Amino acid sequence: MRRVAVIGTGQTKHAKARDDATQSELVRQATTRALADAGITIHEVDAIVLSNMELFEGRALPEMWVGEGAGGYRKPVMKIATGGTSGTSACIAGYHQCASGLFDIVLVVGWEKHSEGATQTGMALTDPLWDRNVASGAVGNFALSISQYVAARGVTPQQAAKVAVKARRNATRNPYAHLQIDGITVEQVLQSRMLADPVHLLDMCPQSDGACAVIYAVEDRAKKFCPRPSWVRAAVTRHDQPYIGDLDRRLVTMRTLRDAAREAYQRVGITEPLREIDVAEIYEPVSYAELAWYEALGFCAEGEAGRLIDDGVTEMNGELPVNPSGGVLSTNPVGASGVLRVAEAAMQVMGRAGDHQVPDVRLALATGYGVYAWSDVIILSAD
Amino acid sequence: MTELLRVPHTMTLAWRYGTSWYFAEFIRALRDERRLLGLRCPACRRVYLPPRPVCGNCYAELREWVEVKDSGTIRAFTIVHTPIIDPTSGQLRPTPYGMALIQLDGADTTLNHYLAENDPSQLQIGMRVQAVWRKERSGMLSDIVHFVAMNNEQ
Ligand SMILES: [Zn+2]
Repeated sequence: MRRVAVIGTGQTKHAKARDDATQSELVRQATTRALADAGITIHEVDAIVLSNMELFEGRALPEMWVGEGAGGYRKPVMKIATGGTSGTSACIAGYHQCASGLFDIVLVVGWEKHSEGATQTGMALTDPLWDRNVASGAVGNFALSISQYVAARGVTPQQAAKVAVKARRNATRNPYAHLQIDGITVEQVLQSRMLADPVHLLDMCPQSDGACAVIYAVEDRAKKFCPRPSWVRAAVTRHDQPYIGDLDRRLVTMRTLRDAAREAYQRVGITEPLREIDVAEIYEPVSYAELAWYEALGFCAEGEAGRLIDDGVTEMNGELPVNPSGGVLSTNPVGASGVLRVAEAAMQVMGRAGDHQVPDVRLALATGYGVYAWSDVIILSAD
Repeated sequence: MTELLRVPHTMTLAWRYGTSWYFAEFIRALRDERRLLGLRCPACRRVYLPPRPVCGNCYAELREWVEVKDSGTIRAFTIVHTPIIDPTSGQLRPTPYGMALIQLDGADTTLNHYLAENDPSQLQIGMRVQAVWRKERSGMLSDIVHFVAMNNEQ
């Protein structure tokens, strides 16, 4: 395995509806920004990995229609679609292509244009022989597993709301973030419309239009092009059983994320994640999930996640800032959301995160969450 | 600058999903006999609903049918307030409605289905519930209208 680093990232402005740009144009914007950030041209790129959930837009073969926006002509191009993990899985695939020695420079681009389609219906297209008749989409499914998490751990709606407030406060320092709602309070979250008990509107991620790109290079190229590359130290993915009812208390146990984190930490030699990791960009589609991920990622003991948010440990000035970008709770173009986690973690290591930069980042964590069947963990470092 | 436009498209689509042997048997028993059948793993002994040809944990082939009751225990619940488009009808589903993960008696997995109750203060994890069936059955989960609280606690 060769050493590989992220040498450039680029993203579009994310918004509820980017009527000014087609899918291909969003991809082109993110790609050209990443190329400029890396200081290379498309001609140096050896291969491209795309990430998109085409069902949401109802346009088949996006790797063909949209691939040109990524500069894909006459290059190896493939696409990955695994729900919310699509972007992190595409980043893992791109890393594998580079680390294996197949390619020296690999571009990963994820995008989604939810404004063009019917996302909630797409989410409800579950097994037609089994639960499609009784499907309640992403919000209903999250709310079900949250009821188990709340019963097991005793976290409060106020603690979940603090996660939602933190994300939106951080997003105001990120000019690319979709939701720009400055100064919202815990009370406002709790008074926002109830989607499915106990999940309020402001506890939930939005649906966004946007794209994000990441460029990997092998060691000699990375050192040539980048003054402070973001080295990939671990990239782990885990898959699980398909049906919502297959897994016992999945948000409580979240064995895919626990297993992936354990293996990633072992590879890097991390024994105290909260102390050793400098910043995390985790895939939190709903406020309660971030609390569950604190436990699954070993940031705290089981049942301690509420205390972590109460004590401000994961705020921008805390011991381990979580989602300085504003996270999925502020920006969620699904095919891009995982790429955004990796890009934002890499930007923190490279010192290019602008107004939401955490000082002196050496070790950064990114995660992906796909339905309830996949988890990805990626660790980046300055050395 | 030219005014930006949106071009709408509406489609009516039809699919035909094959059942294989295991869903064919499940649908037959549900439709003709009002019985719910699960498959037991020969290795870990878990009883799976929905039926499937392989246990994901053991990668063992599943062949042993086990009858599962139409009563069970609530393992998770919510009241859904946000209307979603019902993927089987294309229409907005009226809200609010109760949803639960229900562990049917005899099964190791849980079933997501509707509850008659939509007041969260009347629900708790561990509650016993019973299926309410439609008169006409098609072999689909919608043959069950919803689940209601059992009067006699067991
Ligand atoms: Zn088994």
